[in-house]
Amino acid sequence: MPTTARAAELRTSKDLPLMRRTTTVAGTGSQVVIRHLNDEVVLENDAAHLFNKLRPELSGASAIASIAEKVAERPARVRALLEELEKAGVVSFQAGTDEGALISGMEFYELHRRLCKAWLEEVYVHPLWEKITAGKASRAQVLGFAFEKYHYIEAAFEHMGTAAANATPEMMPHLARHFIEEYTHGDIYRKGLRTLFPDDVILRSQPLPSTRALVNYLNETAQRNSFAYYSGNELLQMTENTGDQGAADAVNDFYDAMRKHYPYTDKLIDSFIAHTRADQALDHQDAFRLMCESVPPLSRRELNDALNVARNMAEHLLLFMDGIDTFYATFATVPRLPCDTLSE
Amino acid sequence: MASLSSQYRAKRVYEITGSEGRRQLRLSDRVVELGEREFDWYQKVEAWLPSLRGVADLSRELGIDEAKVPRFIDALEKSGLLYRVDNAPKTITGLEFHARFSSALDSWLSQAFAHPFWERMMSGRGSARLFSGWLIELYHYTKNANRHMPLSCAHAHEKPIKQLRAKHYAEEWNHYHYFMKSLKHLGFTEPQIAESVPLPMTLALSNFMRQAARQDILAYSICSAVLEGTTVNRKTYSPYYDRSGELYGIPKEAIAPIYQHLDLDVQYQHSDLFKDILEHVSEISAQRASMILDYGHQLVEHVWQWTDNIEKYYQVESNPVPRPPFDFARD
Repeated sequence: MPTTARAAELRTSKDLPLMRRTTTVAGTGSQVVIRHLNDEVVLENDAAHLFNKLRPELSGASAIASIAEKVAERPARVRALLEELEKAGVVSFQAGTDEGALISGMEFYELHRRLCKAWLEEVYVHPLWEKITAGKASRAQVLGFAFEKYHYIEAAFEHMGTAAANATPEMMPHLARHFIEEYTHGDIYRKGLRTLFPDDVILRSQPLPSTRALVNYLNETAQRNSFAYYSGNELLQMTENTGDQGAADAVNDFYDAMRKHYPYTDKLIDSFIAHTRADQALDHQDAFRLMCESVPPLSRRELNDALNVARNMAEHLLLFMDGIDTFYATFATVPRLPCDTLSE
Repeated sequence: MASLSSQYRAKRVYEITGSEGRRQLRLSDRVVELGEREFDWYQKVEAWLPSLRGVADLSRELGIDEAKVPRFIDALEKSGLLYRVDNAPKTITGLEFHARFSSALDSWLSQAFAHPFWERMMSGRGSARLFSGWLIELYHYTKNANRHMPLSCAHAHEKPIKQLRAKHYAEEWNHYHYFMKSLKHLGFTEPQIAESVPLPMTLALSNFMRQAARQDILAYSICSAVLEGTTVNRKTYSPYYDRSGELYGIPKEAIAPIYQHLDLDVQYQHSDLFKDILEHVSEISAQRASMILDYGHQLVEHVWQWTDNIEKYYQVESNPVPRPPFDFARD
């Protein structure tokens, strides 16, 4: 008996069509554009008209036969369109709750990459990037960006250590290796900051709550589920290890603009680049694929848990950017030193 | 000999008002008024203190003779804007610590609630959607007390403190029902709310409380005290709920459970709990006292960013309310 099924076969029934909640639809006449994640489907003429009739019924609660009857169409025609839309990813068929259905680690890997790419889009268009490249960011925002990156990288001690200590047998060798390869990376950033601030000031400085939020979310997940933890961490890794020349050029352009507008960050940027190179030299872009190859098949519940962690991570990353942008614009003190008994 | 910059630190300034000519800098215990030139110098000193630059650099920036720099810094100390690091006591009693905390609390709370969201809501530029969003996140925050309050009991070691923390948990654990009641009067169903997921900053608050609970029971307790400080009396919270009710058509039945919850907190005197706990602490080292205070102030900053996160999410009409978890089969 096979132990795994393709992701599409997690659904055992093909009779309860549902338009995915994250889908957007534009147009209602003879041309309809349906978007889901990074995909776009264009329906025209008959197909568009049929879709417009079906759309209100696609809640996952009605069977194809009753939908066809309600909209006065042949069931076979309705099914044909819906199955095409399923292939395009905008419609799914509800299966009730088959919690035992399995998906292999490698199928999860492909699904995870596709979703994470879409979830990261909002992070890549955050206004802080443009403010820095255009020279419109304040000194506090620019230095704040450097400090928050340092705190986030330094926190590998916390979440990677916790993840390795709580790992499943399959995940342990990967997480142990990852911790050992990464725990010194905070020092690369600290070296850059030490060109502007005394070492004890850097070590005592406090991250923003939004940075702490990101680290604590990783810490908490690392304690309860090592695979879900890495699913979230991989989303972060995807922002560093794209393996894509276009993305690498965009990062270089960003650093060039930062050097131009904020000459005092020259050494800081050297440390950012040194960190990216250190990460690339470790071949971390393959780490998650190797993990996915070694884990047992995932149940539907495990699949949703690991994907929710990745989506939450994208939201936390957006919060991380937003924190730097908004908080340092309002409270311009940087570095953020901790309280003592006389400071308040 | 220690460098001049390592001997002094800047006091926290909670607000700067005034414009050309005079500036008023509000500290927790006084307002310091500076002329424009002195204010510029003060800002330069504040930025210089945690930097690598020497006295000669500062004197150049200030445009004053190097020999006069220590005198200027001394004057800033006398005004209360700077303090000498070695003036901090080596140890402090629990009740002395409470007095320091209490003297800063009002300033901390004013910082926590200085976010423009409040002015927006009170001036009629908010919406029922923002009001509901705030309430949904309060529901999650209150329900998440079950993630940190019992953890603080588990990590408390002294019997009297364990008792006090456990009593607090017993009195609070199910208060999320009040918010559920409110939300039902706003048209949401119980499963919709119970199955929804909080915003990242709402989750961050409870994760931060969990971090504090694991690290130090007094660090946890100061965070709890900051939050309880917002519910000391009705005057603090009534205007927001009353005004929102009028401006955004929030039914009275949706506001009543919130008042019931807040009144219960007052009745339990939860705002006195931190003092009750500190009465059992005979001595706190300077290092520990600093760490505890820092947790309290970080919690203040969490509240500010929490508010920011709520406003930014719920003001976007296309964002789902409440927020469903991601479901592979449905999304």
